[in-house]
Amino acid sequence: MRVVVCAREVLDPDAVSNYVLEGKLEIGEDGRSVVNASIPRLMNAYDEQALEAALRLKDNDESVTVDVVSLGSDSADILKHAAAMGADGIFHLAADPAGLDCSAIGRLLGAWVGSSGGAQLVLCGRQASDDDQGVVPAVLAEALSLPLVTIARDVAVAGDGWRVIRATPDGDETVQVDCSAVVTISNELGDPRYPTMSNKMKARRRTAETVEPSSLGLSADELAPRVVMTSTSVPELHGQCEFIEGGSVDEQAAALVARLRQDEAIAGGSA
Amino acid sequence: MASRDVVLLSIDSGRDGLPSNALRLAAMGRRLADQRGGQLRWLVLGDLPTQLATLAGSYGVTAVDHADDDSLGGWAGDAQVNAAASYLGDRQGALLIAAQTFDSRCIVPRIAARLGCGVVMNVVDLDSDDDGLSLTAAAYGGDTRSGYRFEGDATAVVALGDNVVDAGPAGSQGEAPLETVSLDCGEPERVSVVERAVTEGPRLEDAEVIVAGGRGLQDAANLGLVEELATALGGVVGASRPIVDDGWIDRSQQVGLTGSITRPRLYIAAGISGASQHMVGCTSAKTLVAINIDPDAAVFRQCRYGLVGDCLELLPAITRAIKES
Ligand SMILES: Cc1cc2nc3c(=O)[nH]c(=O)nc-3n(C[C@H](O)[C@H](O)[C@H](O)COP(=O)(O)OP(=O)(O)OC[C@H]3O[C@@H](n4cnc5c(N)ncnc54)[C@H](O)[C@@H]3O)c2cc1C
Ligand SMILES: Nc1ncnc2c1ncn2[C@@H]1O[C@H](COP(=O)(O)O)[C@@H](O)[C@H]1O
Repeated sequence: MRVVVCAREVLDPDAVSNYVLEGKLEIGEDGRSVVNASIPRLMNAYDEQALEAALRLKDNDESVTVDVVSLGSDSADILKHAAAMGADGIFHLAADPAGLDCSAIGRLLGAWVGSSGGAQLVLCGRQASDDDQGVVPAVLAEALSLPLVTIARDVAVAGDGWRVIRATPDGDETVQVDCSAVVTISNELGDPRYPTMSNKMKARRRTAETVEPSSLGLSADELAPRVVMTSTSVPELHGQCEFIEGGSVDEQAAALVARLRQDEAIAGGSA
Repeated sequence: MASRDVVLLSIDSGRDGLPSNALRLAAMGRRLADQRGGQLRWLVLGDLPTQLATLAGSYGVTAVDHADDDSLGGWAGDAQVNAAASYLGDRQGALLIAAQTFDSRCIVPRIAARLGCGVVMNVVDLDSDDDGLSLTAAAYGGDTRSGYRFEGDATAVVALGDNVVDAGPAGSQGEAPLETVSLDCGEPERVSVVERAVTEGPRLEDAEVIVAGGRGLQDAANLGLVEELATALGGVVGASRPIVDDGWIDRSQQVGLTGSITRPRLYIAAGISGASQHMVGCTSAKTLVAINIDPDAAVFRQCRYGLVGDCLELLPAITRAIKES
C-alpha cells in the first residue's frame, strides 16, 4: 500500500513573528519575499505531522510504503529530514514555486502522484504556515478525482478505504471514505517523531530522486498562474492599551472592573 | 462577454437566521458589484436561513438563488462542490465570494479547482478594476499581509476571513427576490459521517464574554482560576493552542487561526503572549483585556486594558472584585 506525503519548506513562523514584533522583517526587492537570512527554513509543521501520520500507518503494517514529495527550488534538507524520520522514498519535484500559484502546484503534485503509480492515501498539511491557504490539497484531490477530508487528527485503515477523525471546532467528527483519498493533517495528531542519530546519519547520504516538471505532461495553460502574489507587508496595529497600574493586586482588579462597567463591557454599567 | 456578476456563497444556515459572517459578506459583495457594474447574487446551498432575504434586500442583492436539493443537507462536500461549480459554469467571469468557515475551507478551494480558476483564502480586502482584481490576504497567521492580483476577466474565487473586514452600511430596504435554482449535485457523497461532533456547552463563537488562559497559567490545575472568573462573568473559557496540545483543555475551546474566531463583548487573555495566530481569534472583541507578567508581551499591543502581573494572583482578585461590586 502506497502512502504519499506532500511536504513543503517554509520559513520558521516563530522567527518571522519575532522579526515582525521587532519591526525588523525585511522584504526583498521583488516586494514579496522575506529575506532575513537568519530565519531558519523548516519543513512545514503540519507536513511533518502528515508524515508522522503516514509513519504510524507503516508502524502498524509493514506493507505500507511512505513516499514524500516536495516541490520547490531547494527541498534537499527537508527531504533528508523526511528520510531520517523514516520515509521510504524521497522525491524532489524540481519546479520554482515563485512562478506558480497554489492551483498549478496542486496540479503538478497530482500529476506526479498519478504518473508514479497512484496512491491509496495522499497526506498533506492542513495549510502552509506562510501562506495559510490550504488550497494545494484541494486542487490535488480534484486533479486525481479523489475525495478530500480536511483537518484530521487520526487516519486509520478501514475496509478498502479510511476512517478519519476530523478535529472540528465542535469536537471530533469521524468520517469514512471507501476509496483512496486526500487527507489533510492538523496539529491535533500529536508531535512528530524525532529521527534517531543513526537514521540522521544514514539520511545524510540519501539524495532525493529528481522529477522534472516537464515530464508530467501538463500544458502551459494548466501551469499558468491564475493569481499572482504581488506584495508582502506588515500590517499596522492600532493598539491603545491603557495599563492599569499601581496599588495592590486587589486595587488593580477593582480599577479594571470599574473601567469595564463604565465601558459596559460587563453588566451593571454606570447607568 | 464575461460575466461581471458577484456571487456570494453561503453553505451554512448559521445562527439567528443568518449564515456565518453574512453582514460582512453582503457589504463586501455590494462594494464589488458596484465596482464591476454587475449583478449581486447570493447562492445558498442547502437550508435557507430565515433572515437572509431581508438582509440581502437591504444590500441591494438582485436575487437569492436557492438550491435546496436533498443532497445538500449537512456535511456534503461533493454535492456542494458540484452544485456551485455548475452554477458558476454558466457565469464565466463571475467573482465568487464565500465566507471562510471551517467547512467552507474544505469546499471553496475545490470549487475553484473544479472550474480551473484561481482562488485566494483569508482575504481581508479586495477591489475590482477594469483589468482584474487586487486583493489583500492575511498570511503568517496574521503577522503579514500578502497582496494578490487576478489579471483579466476569468472567474475568480475568494474566501473572506471572518474577523477583518468591517461591514459597510446597509442600503435599500425590502426582501431580495428568491429564486429556486436546480443544480446538478452529482454522484452520491464519497465521504460519509460516522459520528458527528457534539459540543457540550455554549460555543466560543456565540460567547459574549470569554476568559482565556495560556501557558502563563503554568499548570493545568490553575485553569480553575480562569473558569471561576468566566463563571462570575457568565462567560465561556477559551484557550491558547499550547494548553490544548498539552491536554489541559478540550480543543473545542481553542481560540485563534486554527481554533475559533470569536467576537465577544469582552475577552480577557490571561498568561497569553499574543502570538498573531492567537490574536486573530480575539481582536474582534469589543473590549480586550490582557494579563501578562511581561510588560513587553505582544498581547499588550492590541488590547484595550493591560495588567502587568501574575495571572495566578490577578485572576482571583478580579473574580472577587466582580462578586463584591
Ligand atoms: C500555523 C500555526 C497555527 C497556530 N494556531 C494557533 C491558534 O489557533 N491558537 C493559538 O492560541 N495559537 C496558535 N498557534 C501557536 C501560536 O503561534 C503561539 O505559539 C501560542 O498562541 C502561544 O501560546 P501562549 O501565549 O499560551 O504561550 P506562550 O507563548 O508560551 O506565552 C505564555 C505567556 O504567559 C506569560 N506568563 C508567564 N507566566 C505568567 C504569569 N504567572 N502570569 C501572567 N503571565 C505569565 C509569559 O510572559 C508569556 O507571554 C499557531 C501556530 C502556528 C505556526
Ligand atoms: N510546494 C509544495 N510541495 C509539496 N507539498 C506542498 C507544496 N505546497 C503545498 N503543499 C502541501 O499542501 C499543503 C497546504 O499548502 P497551502 O495550500 O500552500 O497552504 C501543505 O501543508 C503541503 O502538504
